[in-house]
Amino acid sequence: MGKTIVQKILSAHTKDEVKEGNIIWLDIDVRSARDFGGPNVVKHYREHYGAEKVDDPKKTFFTFDLVAPAKTIKYAINQSICRKFAREQGIKVYDVGSGIGTHVLMEHGHILPGNTAVGTDSHYNIVGAIGAFGQGMGDVDITFVFKTGKTWFEVPKTVKIKIKGKFEYPTTAKDLTLYILKHIKTDFALGRSIEFYGESVENLPLFGRITLLSMVTEMGGIIGYIPFTENTIEEVKKFTGASDFNVFYADQDAAYEKEIEIDVDGLESQVAAPPHPHNVYPAKDLKDVKVNMIYIGSCTNGREEDIESAWRILKGKKIKEGIVLSITPATRRAYKNLMEKGILQDLFDMGAIITNPSCAGCAEGHPGMTGEGEVSLNTSNRNFPGKQGKGKTYLTSPEVAAASAITGRITDPREVL
Amino acid sequence: MEKLIKSKVIKYPDSVNTDVIFPGRYTYALMEPEEMAKHAMEDLDPDFQKKVKERKIIVAGRNFGMGSSREQAVLSLVYAGIKAIIAKSFARIYFRNAINNGLLVIEHKEAADFIEDGDEVEIDTQENKIRVKGKEFTFPQLPKEVLKIVEAGGLINYVKEELRKEE
Repeated sequence: MGKTIVQKILSAHTKDEVKEGNIIWLDIDVRSARDFGGPNVVKHYREHYGAEKVDDPKKTFFTFDLVAPAKTIKYAINQSICRKFAREQGIKVYDVGSGIGTHVLMEHGHILPGNTAVGTDSHYNIVGAIGAFGQGMGDVDITFVFKTGKTWFEVPKTVKIKIKGKFEYPTTAKDLTLYILKHIKTDFALGRSIEFYGESVENLPLFGRITLLSMVTEMGGIIGYIPFTENTIEEVKKFTGASDFNVFYADQDAAYEKEIEIDVDGLESQVAAPPHPHNVYPAKDLKDVKVNMIYIGSCTNGREEDIESAWRILKGKKIKEGIVLSITPATRRAYKNLMEKGILQDLFDMGAIITNPSCAGCAEGHPGMTGEGEVSLNTSNRNFPGKQGKGKTYLTSPEVAAASAITGRITDPREVL
Repeated sequence: MEKLIKSKVIKYPDSVNTDVIFPGRYTYALMEPEEMAKHAMEDLDPDFQKKVKERKIIVAGRNFGMGSSREQAVLSLVYAGIKAIIAKSFARIYFRNAINNGLLVIEHKEAADFIEDGDEVEIDTQENKIRVKGKEFTFPQLPKEVLKIVEAGGLINYVKEELRKEE
């Protein structure tokens, strides 16, 4: 019997039998903790392992991306706890200002296609975009991996999602993602690895793959993959700075638990209304929803191309008075490229706030939070009550976010193009 | 893990996410167990603290624990005294966080539907049975490796025990 993509990556990292439902002990190539999980990892580590050395400091990282820089003393103390531990152990810290951990670890070539990586970030499976296996885990898990380089994992079943039909700009990967969520909610893929097929997904550039695969978490999935094209391979080489890596494809006779086909032909811009990411409507149906704050960023839509696309819509237009528009590039590299292209200057001149690279609003972050009765429209991935403030959160694409900044209400970009 | 867990239940709906189990605003302030317990379910159920004094089992709908990977969403319930959660399904990160911290998690659609708020429930971890209102449900045994982790009271303890055996 053939293997699916996840089975191939897992097989390359374990001595155990990779059979669906089996618990295997998995070798982990890269392990990291952030400024939220990190201090607890250090606390557990010291409690259980004292001053013993971590398994491999070269494969172990801290990435500060949530409340970075620390805005309260508590957060500052937490970060200092991680820095001290890192110094003692010889672990590299991607400190405040570096950007979102998973993105940074890929950009610096630490996580490569075919690798296994875990960290204290529920969107760690975003590394599926470069054909790696990644998994968000809790503090105890990560403490254990720091010490042993291993974790236990239940081999997931794989489901297949076929995307039929084509869509055009200003519809982008985020609209596709939200539309898929609308269809499958959290049931179809819960606890599963997902493989996406079909021209519209396979043609997605790397940044679009990052968008879709980051939200496999919201689909309830373990991880998602889109088979690499020639173009993906070139993009991943450029992105990671590496040229030697293993790209896994599913076997022809790989077994899928189930398949679903979703028709996206002529898909329009989509928005997820509260309280769930799968509560999705066409943007034009929500045109009466007035907005107070908008941000473009997060691991889902914080790449250079995302922000550039928003800028193209905003260029020559004015941000509606009363709208707070924040831009948070995912990483320092994305920030620098946007700066050199003059895009950040333009956005600044329009009245936008440009924050330092970080996870944006997903963790009481720098774009700010909403008060009661206010509405945030942003490009992140979760709109659960309380997650981004007391107000309501709507999720959307950079294009809809930009168009809505012009009008002050949720707007299909075609209205302002 | 206790062989027999007997208690009244607290019932919650589908899609209880980690932000309401343990609010993000407290995440990763390094907290002592008692303090964490105090904030459990604060945004979902203001009466949780009262209920948990005598009810030690949570019964919930689909995808319990969806959302972030924060482990406090498991620990705050453990520290509050919760012994087991029966749900139609669990978010995967939550499921493994629970196991790594020795909290019994059982996926059972029919039982989760049948059991009502306040019911007296008995979980028999030896025979894998849930008994409630004269009815009995059998739940599948956790995979052997996983069960060993739960029984040891969590991942780190489990590996310590294994290492001790080797010595």
